[in-house]
Amino acid sequence: MSNAEDNKSSHDQLSSQVFLDLVDSVIADVASECHRVARLGLDRDLEVVEEELRLSVEARAKVADPSNNLETNTKYVVDIFGQSHPPVATEVFNCMNCGRQIVAGRFAPHLERCMGKGRKARAKATRSTTASQNRNSRRNTSDNNQLASGPPGFEENVRRT
Amino acid sequence: MKHSVNRPPTPDEDVTESPERDELTLGEIINIKLVESGEKENLMELVRDRLVESGWKDEMRIACREHVKKKGRKDVTVDELIRAITPKGRASVPDAVKEELLDRIQNFIRSAAL
Repeated sequence: MSNAEDNKSSHDQLSSQVFLDLVDSVIADVASECHRVARLGLDRDLEVVEEELRLSVEARAKVADPSNNLETNTKYVVDIFGQSHPPVATEVFNCMNCGRQIVAGRFAPHLERCMGKGRKARAKATRSTTASQNRNSRRNTSDNNQLASGPPGFEENVRRT
Repeated sequence: MKHSVNRPPTPDEDVTESPERDELTLGEIINIKLVESGEKENLMELVRDRLVESGWKDEMRIACREHVKKKGRKDVTVDELIRAITPKGRASVPDAVKEELLDRIQNFIRSAAL
């Protein structure tokens, strides 16, 4: 009797073992198949989810990054051809008035001085006669302009600028 | 006398075979018999069919995908996947399938007269 029972339990154990063996084989098959699909990128759904995840992480990082990127973007705007323009034009050419080499971005201020149209121009070179002439002319214009009530400091401010 | 004449005796065929036999466990013997009779292959096919029908395989595939999503698809290894799904896999075999298989295996063991 006990022999038969022993046999049975050992049989059970054996058969369980065989069964588990079989199941493990099938599990290995499934794992192998899924591994192949994953590595070869055959699962479109997985790819889409991955791509979206990646893009959202990138976007988050870009927003969170306080420094460089934003600044450089506003300073160096990229146009549709992919060219970036520095805020101050850097090309150098010859002034047609004085013949000097001028940076394009500084051309307007240069012309002011060069052609004597600006305030700072001749006022620096000739203080004596033209300065007093300018002061008089400026006084008239300022009265006409109604820009200032004519405080004593007004001319000083004008001359300085 | 030349050295070649004094070679050691060739090992006896019978002497080597029986020690090997004695060292085999019962489980290994059964396995050998299963394979030799072709029953192992039948059982494999049966298990596969049953597990596919019951949706077990699909569940396992989903579990694999989840794992791949977590770990990133470039780094996964087969071993990793197997380790990840085996506990769940073993536990989720439908009882009916398990019983059918165990029954068949036990019949085989009994008929193998061990």
